[in-house]
Amino acid sequence: MTGRPARRAPLQARATLRLAAFIALAITALSVLGMGLQYRLVAARLATAQQALLAADLDGLAALYEQRRIIALRQAIDYRAAARTGDEMLLLMDRQGGVLAGTRADWPAGLPPLGEGFAATETQEFTDGGRRWTGVARVLPGGFPLLVARSLDPVEQTLAALRRGIAGLTLAMLAAGAGVGWLAARSVMGRIGRINALADRVAGGALEARLPGPRAPDEFGLLETHVHGMLDRIQNLNRATHRLSDTIAHELRTPLNRMMQKLDRIEGQAVADELRTEMRGTIRIFDSLLDISRAEADQGTGGGLVPVDLSAVAAEMWELYEPLAEDKGLTTAATLTPGLMVLGDRNLIAQLLANLLDNAIKFTPPGESISLTLAPGADRHQMRLADTGPGLPDAIRDAAFERFVRAERDRGVRGHGLGLALVRAIAARHGARIATPQTEKGFVLEIGWPKLPASE
Amino acid sequence: MTEQKRILIVEDDSETAAAVAAMAEGLGCTATLATTYAEGVAAATSGDFAVIVFDRMLPGGDGVQAIASIRAAGSTALILVLSALGRAANRVEGLEKGADDYLAKPFEPDELRARLRALLRRDSMQVLDNDLMAFGDLEIRLKARTVHVQRRHVALSPKEFDLITFFARNAGQVVTRMQLLEKVWNLHFDPQTNVVDVHVGRLRRKLEGAAGRPVIQTARGEGYVFAPLTGTGM
Repeated sequence: MTGRPARRAPLQARATLRLAAFIALAITALSVLGMGLQYRLVAARLATAQQALLAADLDGLAALYEQRRIIALRQAIDYRAAARTGDEMLLLMDRQGGVLAGTRADWPAGLPPLGEGFAATETQEFTDGGRRWTGVARVLPGGFPLLVARSLDPVEQTLAALRRGIAGLTLAMLAAGAGVGWLAARSVMGRIGRINALADRVAGGALEARLPGPRAPDEFGLLETHVHGMLDRIQNLNRATHRLSDTIAHELRTPLNRMMQKLDRIEGQAVADELRTEMRGTIRIFDSLLDISRAEADQGTGGGLVPVDLSAVAAEMWELYEPLAEDKGLTTAATLTPGLMVLGDRNLIAQLLANLLDNAIKFTPPGESISLTLAPGADRHQMRLADTGPGLPDAIRDAAFERFVRAERDRGVRGHGLGLALVRAIAARHGARIATPQTEKGFVLEIGWPKLPASE
Repeated sequence: MTEQKRILIVEDDSETAAAVAAMAEGLGCTATLATTYAEGVAAATSGDFAVIVFDRMLPGGDGVQAIASIRAAGSTALILVLSALGRAANRVEGLEKGADDYLAKPFEPDELRARLRALLRRDSMQVLDNDLMAFGDLEIRLKARTVHVQRRHVALSPKEFDLITFFARNAGQVVTRMQLLEKVWNLHFDPQTNVVDVHVGRLRRKLEGAAGRPVIQTARGEGYVFAPLTGTGM
């Protein structure tokens, strides 16, 4: 068969993918937070270390200044300047702004000397020659400006390397999360897809469908086991229904049959004929109930259905009932498109039509009309039976298709209220849709029959 | 009839079996009884029976399954399945598996009698090599699908022709409404209205109009008798 509904896999995978993405993002966010804290700690440690180096420089210079003031300071700075690494900035000037000693020839712009003495306080950060520095600027007693600073480059390089590491790691984690999520989603989808496919088949009526192969010892295996348990139960109930109706049939029909045979021996009494008529009525109700429950139990199972020419069955049944309608004085009209095929049971379809036509003729008064139309629709064959009779009373409009529901006004008309219930059960057995649209006058019933799937 | 025809009844319910046997004897046949599936198949394949009445839910098996083995053994008996499995699907299944007729329990004695008669008649009926069925001045031509009364053509609808053909094959005997529905319309359910009456009525009026005498009579109880030659059957 080619009529299977299209797979919905891309839609179904969304939930799993969303979950995987959420987990990957959450883990990544937590890691980034952790690395951020670490980064701040490292940055603080590096700043402290830089401060300590600066303090050590200042302590050394302070000790020399204690001994021989500016002279010693100048010698020391000269000595340091000669052996400079580039990461330090030292400058001692005289009162007139001349350089006494240092690693550079001028005072950096925009850097005011603050206070005097060698304490490592009031440090200032500034930019010079495109590099970041931290240091202290002083004016020593007697008007000698002194600048002691250290480059922040090593710190910043370390931090930059750290930032690059964090960024790379974050990207790698996102990529890994996406990859693992995709793989997990794919594997989960594969296994859920199996179960979904099974559910589709069961919903399509194949109650005996099961997943092949062994169950995996995990939660999916457990789910499959549970689904199988459910299906076994449904199948057993279905079998029990069938068995029950067969048993009822046998156990009740046999005694009914004996009664019928014994009645035959009572000759020529009116009461025997009445009894026979009563029994016939009882058997009809009994047969209808069995037919309804069997059609309902078989609903959705394709078993027993074969390609049937719906148009031909409709034409035959119309031909069978039309004279009855004419004799009653009804105007009749049938428009049947020939050759419309369905997957069905000819007898059941005929029975459905018999019940509908019988009802229409029974309830429509002489002079009115009944009509039957069958036409191909977009996705279903549309059957429409309309009469201009009294229509359905509003009181039973919703319940008309239930068993034993009859309108008050029809108490005098023969019937037991099972006709439409059987119509509904037979339609459901064929996957056909029944509609009873409101009309100004009379009763209209429409049935949309599923088309026979194109043969391959 | 020169010799008595034999009917085999395979039925586990003794009362039903007795009723069917009485009916068979009433039709001028000898009845043989069997009560289990195995017994039934053994009897069916060994004896020369005209008709076999087989139940379905028997101790040991389903009568419908027996049809194939009975046929395989070379029996030409006509088989009527008589069963409590009376839904349309069961009947269709039985007929598809080779039963010549299928009647659901509970059945009306008249109904079974009519069916047995039809089967017995079929058993003795000669295959006609021409396509003409003639009843006095009433002639049915099967290939041309025409009916003439006193050489005058009677216009019939296709279904009416099927109807008169079935009547003609069972001329002189009671034919029930249920038989007509099954054999002429191929419908295996009770339509609850006597739709058949309307069709038989139309056919009857046409034939009477042409022949000037009753051709189809209503039988007491359940059916009709096709009696084209005035008086009783032929």
